[in-house]
Amino acid sequence: MNEDTHTRTSYHREKLVSAGSLHWVHWLVISLSLVLTVGAWSISRQQISQRVEAQFVREAAQSVALVKERMELYENALWGGVALIDSNAGLINYDQWRAYANSLRIDEVYPGINGIGVIHNIQPHQLATYLKKVVIRRPDYQIHPKHNETEYWPITYVEPAIPNSKAIGLDMAFEANRYGGIKKSRDSGKAQLTGPITLVQDSKKTPGFLLYTPFYKQGKKPASKEERRRKIVGVTYAPFIVSKLMQGTLASQKRQVGIKISDGNDILYDEDSDKDPNPLFSKKVTIDFYGRAWEFDIRSDLSFREASANNQPLFVLFGGIFIDSLLLGLFLFLSQANRRALNYADQMTTELKMQTENLEKSNAELNDFAYIASHDLKSPLRGIDQLATWIAEDIDNKEETLSHLTMMRSRVNRMENLLNDLLDYSKVGKIEDKIQSVDCKNTLESIYDLLSPPETFTLEISGGLPVFDTVDTAFHLVFRNLISNSIKHHNGDDGTITISVEEQEHFYIFRVQDDGPGIEQKFHEKIFGLYQTLRPKDEVEGSGMGLAIIKKTLEYYGGSITLSPEQTQGACFFVSWPKRVSVKT
Amino acid sequence: MAKDYQEVSILMVEDDDIDAMAIARAFKKLKLLNPLIRATDGLNALEYLRGTKDRDPIQRPYVLLLDINMPRMNGLELLEEIRNDPNLKDTPIFILTTSKAEEDMIAAHNYNVAGYIVKSDVADGFIRVIELLDSYWRVVTLPS
Repeated sequence: MNEDTHTRTSYHREKLVSAGSLHWVHWLVISLSLVLTVGAWSISRQQISQRVEAQFVREAAQSVALVKERMELYENALWGGVALIDSNAGLINYDQWRAYANSLRIDEVYPGINGIGVIHNIQPHQLATYLKKVVIRRPDYQIHPKHNETEYWPITYVEPAIPNSKAIGLDMAFEANRYGGIKKSRDSGKAQLTGPITLVQDSKKTPGFLLYTPFYKQGKKPASKEERRRKIVGVTYAPFIVSKLMQGTLASQKRQVGIKISDGNDILYDEDSDKDPNPLFSKKVTIDFYGRAWEFDIRSDLSFREASANNQPLFVLFGGIFIDSLLLGLFLFLSQANRRALNYADQMTTELKMQTENLEKSNAELNDFAYIASHDLKSPLRGIDQLATWIAEDIDNKEETLSHLTMMRSRVNRMENLLNDLLDYSKVGKIEDKIQSVDCKNTLESIYDLLSPPETFTLEISGGLPVFDTVDTAFHLVFRNLISNSIKHHNGDDGTITISVEEQEHFYIFRVQDDGPGIEQKFHEKIFGLYQTLRPKDEVEGSGMGLAIIKKTLEYYGGSITLSPEQTQGACFFVSWPKRVSVKT
Repeated sequence: MAKDYQEVSILMVEDDDIDAMAIARAFKKLKLLNPLIRATDGLNALEYLRGTKDRDPIQRPYVLLLDINMPRMNGLELLEEIRNDPNLKDTPIFILTTSKAEEDMIAAHNYNVAGYIVKSDVADGFIRVIELLDSYWRVVTLPS
């Protein structure tokens, strides 16, 4: 039953001890949630980066498509001009062209081009006829500049005329880009671009180009290159200033990418607003653009960086780490609480144990008292009763009666001593202890004198004795009993009691040595018990409590008493007296 | 009959002088002539039983009257000593004590004492006790 309780208690205690520290389960939970956090962070980052990349790819494709789409629009306008001329069997006069151009509403519908015009192919033998025809309407018309080619490609009309006045009469053959483009258009029968040029009408000298669409004799579309060369009449064309084109094309669009377009080594267009010096994404696409290879260099810009700077993964990471720390904190708090509970329980247990010990001790003392009451107090009483009976019986025998009376008095005396000692014993630790300065030498001498030893006895105090603060009453009690024992049990006529002191760190060790009969080794333990005497009480009066009182007193104040194990002449007691005595209140 | 009859010696182990005197008086009153020897404690009693310290060992047959509370060696310790001694273990022993304590009684009986007598009734001294013991050693054949 008891063992069962004990097992159960120690089981519960072990559980508490184990709950007082973090275990692999805790660490597992924490590391799992850390792994989850990092995983969620990484996935979220990946997703966002994928989304951002997809957005960039979409925007890049969109930008390229926009440019392409816009160019197709212009191409259509030019083909419209071709269609007009074709329907007129390859002929077109100024009024017709102006009417066409006006109906296109270039300013509104085609913001990217400067105008729309017609260029005729003039062989040297046709030049005079051509000029004659043109100057009818525009007397100051001139083909320019001069060149060494064997044919002429002068701009006949361009509308609106005023902003393009510098271009009227300009001969495309004067310069390689313009000339090459026009020849390619003639040979292929398709719309073709020139390489990068600077338009004569562009005062800012920014990059530009021309787009040509050819038309042939009688408004037909010749099938072969040779036929096309023979039957070429001219081209409709449009001059582009790239920046204007792009403005009309891309500006209205909200974009987060920057575009740089180049044709070969020439940069046609380079957006420099909102440029990200270290773009998150970039992409180069080369597209065949009306006979030119245009390279689109597309880069994400600062606004893209800003828009894609998503804090979600960081929120996930730090949020997760925060929760993990909370978790760890919670575990630590719980285990600490367990440790505290355990400490508290241990403390309570210790206190309970001490209380139980004290209770057991005082119970044992009570038992001893009961025992002494039934024997040691009763036997002198019985003796007195016995003696009284005998006195009554032998009343005539005066001598015997006197001896009985003497014995009776000794019994009364013995009882009184026993009661006094019992009182002393029970008072240890219970009377009010006062700490006061004790001069050991004086105190021991006065104790010795109060015991009124025979004249033949001497007290020798060797060496210096301390003066220190301690419990005065206890000091008296201990040394009175000890010295009184030495005198009482001495077997010679003259005796010497020697007292010396050795100082230790926490104790004064009093050595009390007499030259009496000494105490046999086998009784060394017994003598400290209650009511223990080594000689019949009739030989030496004694309650058998002296050493028990000394022992109890010393132990109460944290000291001790031992007998020297060396069997010397007489008895030699060592009393350890604590230097500092704490008084329990 | 006379030949068979051996005077029984009494070894009284008693530290209290008055109790010892009371027993001696009871013997006198009952006109018993048995040799009565007194030891003051257990160690002293062993000297008489073993004949140590220049003492004549006590003659058989004998009976021990044993007190419990005594200096140096008490009654129970003496009992243990006697029962462990092959020469002495058959000794008939009567406990004669003031102790009514249960534990003393049980301990004594565990050492096979012939009787446990409490010195409570002082009014007639030890007369009745000694009468009883006298009858005992007259009737019972003691080891010799």
